[in-house]
Amino acid sequence: MILKVKNLHKIYKNGMHALKGLNIEVQKGEFLVIIGLSGSGKSTLLRCINRLIEPTAGTVEFMGKDITHVKGEELRKVKAQIGMIFQHFNLINRHSVLKNVISGKLGQLKTLNSILGNFTDDIYEEAYRNLEIVGIKEKAKERADTLSGGEQQRVAIARSLMQNPKLLLADEPVASLDPATSNSVMKFFEKVNKEFGTTVICNLHFLSLVRKYATRVIALKSGEIIYEGEPSEIDEKWFKTIYGEEAEEVEIR
Amino acid sequence: MTNKTDNNQSPIDIIRQNQRLEERVNFIKAIFLDIFFVFYSILLLQRAIYYKFILDLRDIPFSWEGIIILFVISVFIGASWTFTKTSLSCKLFGIAKDNKVTKWSVEISGWFLFNITFIAGWIITKLSIVDLFSSEGIKGAERLFGALFKPEFGIFDDALFAMIETIYIALLATLISIPITLFISFFTARNLMKGNKTTFIIYYVLRLILNFVRSIEPLIWAIIFSVWVGIGPFAGMIALLVHTIASNAKLYSEAIESIEQGPVEAISATGANKIQVVWYAVVPQIILPFLSFTIYRWDINVRMATIIGLVGGGGIGTMLMQYQGLAMWHEVGLIVLMIAIVVWVMDYISAKIREAIY
Ligand SMILES: Nc1ncnc2c1ncn2[C@@H]1O[C@H](COP(=O)(O)OP(=O)(O)O)[C@@H](O)[C@H]1O
Ligand SMILES: [Mg+2]
Repeated sequence: MILKVKNLHKIYKNGMHALKGLNIEVQKGEFLVIIGLSGSGKSTLLRCINRLIEPTAGTVEFMGKDITHVKGEELRKVKAQIGMIFQHFNLINRHSVLKNVISGKLGQLKTLNSILGNFTDDIYEEAYRNLEIVGIKEKAKERADTLSGGEQQRVAIARSLMQNPKLLLADEPVASLDPATSNSVMKFFEKVNKEFGTTVICNLHFLSLVRKYATRVIALKSGEIIYEGEPSEIDEKWFKTIYGEEAEEVEIR
Repeated sequence: MTNKTDNNQSPIDIIRQNQRLEERVNFIKAIFLDIFFVFYSILLLQRAIYYKFILDLRDIPFSWEGIIILFVISVFIGASWTFTKTSLSCKLFGIAKDNKVTKWSVEISGWFLFNITFIAGWIITKLSIVDLFSSEGIKGAERLFGALFKPEFGIFDDALFAMIETIYIALLATLISIPITLFISFFTARNLMKGNKTTFIIYYVLRLILNFVRSIEPLIWAIIFSVWVGIGPFAGMIALLVHTIASNAKLYSEAIESIEQGPVEAISATGANKIQVVWYAVVPQIILPFLSFTIYRWDINVRMATIIGLVGGGGIGTMLMQYQGLAMWHEVGLIVLMIAIVVWVMDYISAKIREAIY
């Protein structure tokens, strides 16, 4: 088991109770998708897992180790093993694609070397290799903000591959992309999951994408798990429970 | 496996507790603010409107006992007002009762505060307007303006040299300030420092010092430093430097505070340490605003350097002061003309450069 979340609560400073005692177990190699309406707590869950925010109560175990309260150097070591992809890509706009990809390696580099830009040839090779995996090696020298949305997200994937992550978290990675691009970006997650055996936890909105890529689905509603199972088991009735009576399914392929 | 958090209180309790605490804090804030409102109104009514306007006194009576009595009365009225939960401050902090009385109380007191402030301001400034139009004053102004329009070009070389001195004072103060300000501004940016207690204390103390330094005008700093290091350009430069650091550190740290958090999160999520996060995610986002602020500040410093010269900070200001003391108005005219041209040119150049960077 790679990840075990026990009785996880998150209460924000303003009193918002965003996660209400979640219990989740994730096996190595899974492609777990989390669905739910906006505000149901999907982002909060991912952020608690890699400790971008602090859980209020409960525990998170990563590779058999309780990481809920680790600090400093130890926390950075944990973070370095967990990749994260964001909806808005979060690249450094003014930096080149290559430099953005290399920045995924920061957790494993000496501070002084990384600031002076002293990277070994190995690191450059690895960066080009990862850019090749996501198919945009030829854009390595361009400024990140000149790329299209889909390309930027692929750079972000290459950046997290630099971490050689055991676990890849993706927070609505295709929510700001058009349907066709969404699908092609999702294919890279599938590739990473199948070829490198990297465990993926991904927040998604479109059920058609969920059915295509997920090995297991968890649905959240107001910070609680209301569904857990195979993507194929989500029928009309479950759909309405998760997204509300008004909702209707939209197809994207 | 041990689980430290299981025997904690339930999350619902934490929420309720936080709410109660917040309400209590807001109530205390409201008491203080209401007392201030009442005290302010009474003081204005008594001193500006009653003594100055109605009785038209030249020397307004002052005694600490009187003030203290007024203050005690205000504490009493202000606090009672807050306790009714219908006061202006209760409304401002969102803890007022929602009824007609609150509505009236808030509207009337708001209207009242605005009006007495306006009236008091008018009473206080009217006296100086009278002085401005005395016949003696106008005659002096005529003499001065007449001379200013016939500048004396005999001192052109000296004035030019002094002007260059002024520009260099400003330039040097700006240049030296850059590395120092850069260094300080990271420690005074809230988003970088709020993480733990130690860094937050550093942030707080630094902010306090910078606010204090900035609140003292460069002119005053020049007076202080001319006593410290002796009258002349060096004192003027140090004075500008100190004020530039304090002002720009604030602007720089505001730029740091308003950066996009996304890249910062992304870089932290890779396991990078604090310094790496700053270098990779913060610095690229702030380089342009920093450059722009600094160039603008050079422009401000040229103007400030002129003024600082008036109190012995060197350069064209000091020269202006000497001729003004001798009542040589034609020479003063040339200097003023020169300052005007240089300030205008600097203003134009700095605006152009800032446009070009963005
Ligand atoms: N930093 C925050 N402070 C306070 N409340 C927050 C914060 N972030 C999210 N929330 C609240 O927590 C709930 C869950 O948010 P989120 O995890 O972002 O949901 P999702 O990603 O599923 O849209 C929402 O009600 C949201 O308003
Ligand atoms: Mg979200």
